[in-house]
Amino acid sequence: MAARCVLGSIWTSLSGVKSMASSSNMSVFQSITNYPQLSVFGIIQSRGIRQVVEKKEGKTTIIEGLTQDTLAGPQPPNPTAQCPIYQWNLQNKYNYTDVLLLSQFIRSDGGMLPRRVTGLCAQEHRKIAICVQMAHRAGLLPDHKPPLPEGHVPKKPKPQLNRYLTRWSIDSVKPIYRAGLKWCKNRISVGHPALRNNVQYGKKILYLKH
Amino acid sequence: MSSFTKSAQQWATFARSWYLIDARMQPPGKIATMCAIRLQGKHKPIYHALSDVGDHVVVMNSRHIAFSGNKWEQKMYSSHTQYPGGFKQVTATQLHSKDPKAIVKLAVYGMLPRNLSRRTMMQRLHLFPEDDLPEDILLNLTEELPQPREIPRRLNEYSQEEREAFPTLWTPPEDYRRK
Repeated sequence: MAARCVLGSIWTSLSGVKSMASSSNMSVFQSITNYPQLSVFGIIQSRGIRQVVEKKEGKTTIIEGLTQDTLAGPQPPNPTAQCPIYQWNLQNKYNYTDVLLLSQFIRSDGGMLPRRVTGLCAQEHRKIAICVQMAHRAGLLPDHKPPLPEGHVPKKPKPQLNRYLTRWSIDSVKPIYRAGLKWCKNRISVGHPALRNNVQYGKKILYLKH
Repeated sequence: MSSFTKSAQQWATFARSWYLIDARMQPPGKIATMCAIRLQGKHKPIYHALSDVGDHVVVMNSRHIAFSGNKWEQKMYSSHTQYPGGFKQVTATQLHSKDPKAIVKLAVYGMLPRNLSRRTMMQRLHLFPEDDLPEDILLNLTEELPQPREIPRRLNEYSQEEREAFPTLWTPPEDYRRK
């Protein structure tokens, strides 16, 4: 009891161990190296991960969370820019198929991370959100689905249809009953106008209306 | 080729070949243009509309075609039974669930020339919803055509080395907890 109070006071004095508090309460006298659950992709340069180290000095046990040294990854070619996309000169060069890029800005359940955390500028954040939406609808991020409540039974089996470059959400779109004549046709939109300025490496132009 | 006999050369130019196209994750319009070109015989230098130089085309996996945009919900296929009040309109999803071959078939039909040889060309088009083809067609196939659209890779299809090789663009702030 007394030991726990001492440990409690030491804990609050150390900075940044709040994340360990909930998980480390159970096994106090064991050295733990806790890593928060990482998503699918590998080791990230996150300064939130700390290594828990236990030291015993007589009757007092000090459990400390030491910050890990961040791995020195490749440096961006344009470090003076504000937005990470501009730092790596990727503006106008990414699409919904670049899943490795998009997966860095999403949570494990598929939602976007806030702009104040990622550091993206407003336009690029919007473009990345649009590409992530299109990638989800194309089925390119199968492991980033939101968790369904337990015991959830789908009423009707949905038809598994392949799609890509879907701008609108599937349930929100209504069929075009009267398409019109060639000169005044009610066109179907493909892709998104926010990605209009993307670099086209072939001779074909980007058609946004089919 | 100059080393062939005249009869062999004649056979090679005028024989009717069988082409195979895999329509998995492909837009049906692009599949249909490839089929229409080969059914008419326009890929051959000896083409003439009256000469019946078209080839056979086999399309497999027509159930797994991919539409761009929201065409599954927005594109309508219309027909009329000739009776009053017989105008029927069906979305691409509904048509595909009823008959998985219909979308590709209608696309090719609309791309062929509007003459009497269109029906014979459609008879030379063979559609299969899945990839199990009958024996006699498998024996006839000569060439598989490359797919028009490059299929993008899913995130779980990338190997661990590729994911590690991709640089991380941003570092999170110190007090941020990744959920």
